[in-house]
Amino acid sequence: MDNMGKMVEELLHELSVQPLFSKHIGTFTLTNYSFFLLIAFVLTVVFFLVGSRRLSLVPKGIGNVVEWAVSFVRDGLCIDMLGSEDGRKYFPFVGTIFFFVLFNDVLGLIPGAKPGTGTLGTTFTWGAIVFLVYNGIGIKKSGFVRYIKSFVPSGTPVVLMPLMFLLEIVSHFLRPLTLGIRLYANMYAGHIMLGIFAILVTISLESLSVGSAVTGGLAFVMHVIMYGFEFFVAGLQAYIFSILTTVYINGALHATEH
Amino acid sequence: MVGSLSVLGAGLAFGIGAIGPAIGIGMIGAKTIESMARQPEMAGKLQATMFIALGMTEAIALLGFVLAFVLMGA
Repeated sequence: MDNMGKMVEELLHELSVQPLFSKHIGTFTLTNYSFFLLIAFVLTVVFFLVGSRRLSLVPKGIGNVVEWAVSFVRDGLCIDMLGSEDGRKYFPFVGTIFFFVLFNDVLGLIPGAKPGTGTLGTTFTWGAIVFLVYNGIGIKKSGFVRYIKSFVPSGTPVVLMPLMFLLEIVSHFLRPLTLGIRLYANMYAGHIMLGIFAILVTISLESLSVGSAVTGGLAFVMHVIMYGFEFFVAGLQAYIFSILTTVYINGALHATEH
Repeated sequence: MVGSLSVLGAGLAFGIGAIGPAIGIGMIGAKTIESMARQPEMAGKLQATMFIALGMTEAIALLGFVLAFVLMGA
């Protein structure tokens, strides 16, 4: 039990961002996280290129998987939330987010690999992109002045207007923040939890007694269950990130209608 | 002393901060199941709305998570 603290420290160190090489190109360097970001990027491109190589009415093999995944995002997410026309229009953006998050989350579950979405830098960048895109859509749709005016619902007493406006601004700026924090925290906390169970198993192996065998066995079973659960979380986070994006886009599109 | 107190504060910030969202997520789940049992044909739409509400409730808990890290650093 004495070295548990040391092991936890080691785990946290393992999960922190570290440069892979001491060489820098300007201020840029390849870290352990950005390395797996690149790998996930290559995997995504290869997956979709192979899947869409021979397009046919009845797809076979990997083409079938790609078609199912794409139609899930397009029909289940975009068209369901945004309607047929806007759903098709914004599907490339939402689909990119969905598969980016999904591939990075799942890749991070391979032992030794890191989730590219496990750093605040990556997730906040996506939050900021979503923020810029949905506000851009709203401004393009109804014009800057009308879009800003729509922050205050019509019929609000004049006294309450500044307060309502301020609240709406705060809630808009909280959106990219929560998008980023949610994804980061889920990935980071999930990996810490897996690591803690792994540490428990290692510690119980050190001494041979009935108690440590029971503890280690339970920790091992929990570790396996939690590992499966993390796959569910990976899919869920991809789904939540992209469905919230469609909700924000939908809100911006229909901001001035009521 | 300050270091150990800030760790204690971080634990309390996340622990107490998670109570409200936990109740909220439970209520969201319970009500969704209830509505699904009443109108099974609406299940797909209810599930999508449930995930949106879940995401927003979860965000409050995660603010506590971040606050805990800020306190640990202090």
